[in-house]
Amino acid sequence: MDWIVEVYNYRVVAQFIPEFTRGIAATIWISLLSLIMALIIGTFVAIMRLSANPVLWRIAAGYVQAIRSTPLLIQIYVIYFSIPALPLLDRRLDELEGGIIALGLNAGAYMSEIIRAGIESVSRGQVEGAQSVGMTYMQRMRYVVLPQAFANVVPPLLGQTSVLIKDSSLVSFIGVFELFGAGLVVLSDRLMPNEAFMTVAFCYLVIYWVMLMFSNFAQRRLGGARR
Amino acid sequence: MASKTPIVVVKDVCKTFKIPGRPPIHALRNVTNHVNKGEVLVVIGPSGSGKSTFLRALNGLEPVDSGSITIDDVELTAPKTDLNKLRQGVGMVFQHFNLFEHKTALENITMPQMVVLKRSKDEADEIGNKLLDRVGIGDRGDNYPSELSGGQQQRVAIARSLAMTPKVMLFDEATSALDPETVGGVLDLMKELAADGTTMVVVTHEMGFAREAGDRVTFMDEGEIVEDGTPNAVFDNPQHERTKLFLSQII
Repeated sequence: MDWIVEVYNYRVVAQFIPEFTRGIAATIWISLLSLIMALIIGTFVAIMRLSANPVLWRIAAGYVQAIRSTPLLIQIYVIYFSIPALPLLDRRLDELEGGIIALGLNAGAYMSEIIRAGIESVSRGQVEGAQSVGMTYMQRMRYVVLPQAFANVVPPLLGQTSVLIKDSSLVSFIGVFELFGAGLVVLSDRLMPNEAFMTVAFCYLVIYWVMLMFSNFAQRRLGGARR
Repeated sequence: MASKTPIVVVKDVCKTFKIPGRPPIHALRNVTNHVNKGEVLVVIGPSGSGKSTFLRALNGLEPVDSGSITIDDVELTAPKTDLNKLRQGVGMVFQHFNLFEHKTALENITMPQMVVLKRSKDEADEIGNKLLDRVGIGDRGDNYPSELSGGQQQRVAIARSLAMTPKVMLFDEATSALDPETVGGVLDLMKELAADGTTMVVVTHEMGFAREAGDRVTFMDEGEIVEDGTPNAVFDNPQHERTKLFLSQII
């Protein structure tokens, strides 16, 4: 078994369990908050994008274009360093807040395109059925269109969420401690890149796998017995 | 039997579909008609005659260009009218059912009651189960639409409309998408509703139903009302050439 210790010294990794645990917890927390933010932003932007009002859909389209055309790392830096300079905030944004907002805004743009496709996939008949019983626009969206829209796009949303979880490692660049940061600690303390980053990669895999189970559950809840 | 109080009044309604690059289609040309309380009006006509457009105009799903439509003294065509509120009182049954795919049969009936009429879940469930029994599928409440036959889905759709206690029920070719063996059952249900005094406007190709359950038959062609009268008058003694031609082709 000695050769394993040569390549991957798990005893060293065991010494850093507290760091990795804190890192996993931080990554999950950051990803979860930015996912919630992204889904809310994505839903509203998708609805705006489908609006007949040219002001609304142009704002939505411009936002999506701006996010798509710039690197996430730059977005994180811009949000973290620029928002505190705005007069509407009288205090400095801490690293965690800046990181979550940047990730949420970024993923929100991509999610909005997925959610828009989901909304468009709900047939006209569903809307007319809801109209015929007197539902308002908001009620139709809330109870008929959006549940089916989300159920139809769970797989691509899942893919985007996995991108979000992996992208969350970039917030370490503004000094947020998370899973990647735990790997950096191992690297700088022991100069052992294998132990540092193979462990980090494995932890990301586990997080992804747990998320997959949650989403299967969510899809069944939303979609009825169709699948 | 039908009273003399008009509940639906349609006056001089015009509707044109404009498709770029093609001549405009006049779907409705100066259509004037009315439906009395408790009356069953059957609208027949060849496809493309405007009968479905006429029906869809009655709950504002198809906005009209000019003329006026009044439902129970509320003018649908007035710009300030709250269409959503008005539609609560106008039930509609579609050719393709349009049941909410993500809800069970019972939930299809209870959800609009709770959301739109703010009924409690218990009350909505009670009404929902009663109506499922009424339309003859009391045992299928837990099934999703995809698990039901076309006939069963249409029964759920009828129950969904009835739950809102509508003043008038609109049927848009409700049996056209059904398998032949289930058509009869749904038509029987519609006849029962008619016999119970439900005010109904029925667009259909089922001439047997028109003759048996209709109080009045309107024949439409090319967006116009060509002939209007009792089923016996229209079917046995049509006055217009177009009516005669249509009837000769279909019967």
